[in-house]
Amino acid sequence: MSAVRIIADILIGIGGIFALAGTIGILKMPDTFSRMQASTCIPTLGTVCALLGALLFAIFNKGDAGAAVKIAVICLLILVTNPLGSHALAKGAYKAGIRPEKKMEVDDLGRDLYGD
Amino acid sequence: MRDLLVFAIGFAVLAALTLIRLAKGPTAADRMVAGDAADTLICIALVLFSLISKRGIYLDIALVAALFGVIDTMLVGRYLEKERGQDK
Amino acid sequence: MQKTKIPAVVSTFLVCFIFWVLLTWSFTAQELIAGGVVSLAVALFSARFFIHEKAFWFLNPAKLFGGLFYWVCVFPVELVKANVNMAKICFGGCKKINPGIVKVPVDLKSDYGQAALANSITLTPGTITMEVTEEEGQTYYYIHWIDVTAPSGKEAGDAIKGTLEKGLRRVWE
Repeated sequence: MSAVRIIADILIGIGGIFALAGTIGILKMPDTFSRMQASTCIPTLGTVCALLGALLFAIFNKGDAGAAVKIAVICLLILVTNPLGSHALAKGAYKAGIRPEKKMEVDDLGRDLYGD
Repeated sequence: MRDLLVFAIGFAVLAALTLIRLAKGPTAADRMVAGDAADTLICIALVLFSLISKRGIYLDIALVAALFGVIDTMLVGRYLEKERGQDK
Repeated sequence: MQKTKIPAVVSTFLVCFIFWVLLTWSFTAQELIAGGVVSLAVALFSARFFIHEKAFWFLNPAKLFGGLFYWVCVFPVELVKANVNMAKICFGGCKKINPGIVKVPVDLKSDYGQAALANSITLTPGTITMEVTEEEGQTYYYIHWIDVTAPSGKEAGDAIKGTLEKGLRRVWE
């Protein structure tokens, strides 16, 4: 085991911890929007740490430039495109009438759109 | 190699856990959030599997999964938004 | 609909072509020519839909370094902080939350700046941008916040996006 292997393992492990946090959030959070918030942990630090570890492994242990570039592109793609989907889904869910069971204390969007 | 295999299986298990929410979730948005998370986790697992088995084809599959994961989330979001507009 | 402009086509073509080279990662003339032709067609068709402002803003060195500083130093720090917060909430049993939607004023004028700020806010766990409106020349974001600690308006804005907006204002006014 070289030093690079150990660093890569540690990075992937950190990514796994954040992915676990996101999964627990998705399973246990009480309402739709909070689940959305918790799931944002997975595509940010979970993916970035894990794919950074994989990138180090591909460069130093296998010497495969094509695979390394592809891994970097996947990482960038997930980071750039995830907020678009998240934003569209949150807006659509709110406008389709999905509300948390326990009423939110501050709800400016509902006040300005529907007056309640 | 064995450490990478353990991590990859761990990510796949996390993806399987999010499927519980996909089966249970009361609304369409809940199911979509769980589906998106499962897609991202499977993408990471595929990258790790491609490093283990030394086959480049898994990387291409992961790339396509990352691309289409966003498109379906956006589609469902726009659909939900328009649905309420027609009711009114 | 806008007219197609030359700088917009050139920048879209460059993005498509670089993406093609990164994906195929082979430098034979055949593949490069095929990628160039397809990229040019895509750029001619779609440039007018997504380049509405100055396309080559990054040729100005001050702005380029401002952008690099933002994406390398400012944003990752906020991202890690928010992630650790969210992980603490999740491992602690998802109890200590107080969700709400706040309305926050934004001072950036440029389209690119507003898009970058909205995406940065959505990408940090704990806040999601839900809607953008403009009232009397002032832009407002509606932000879903998982732990509301400040009332709407300026205070909530400082708590959510103070550092991010300061970093972005160096790049796009």
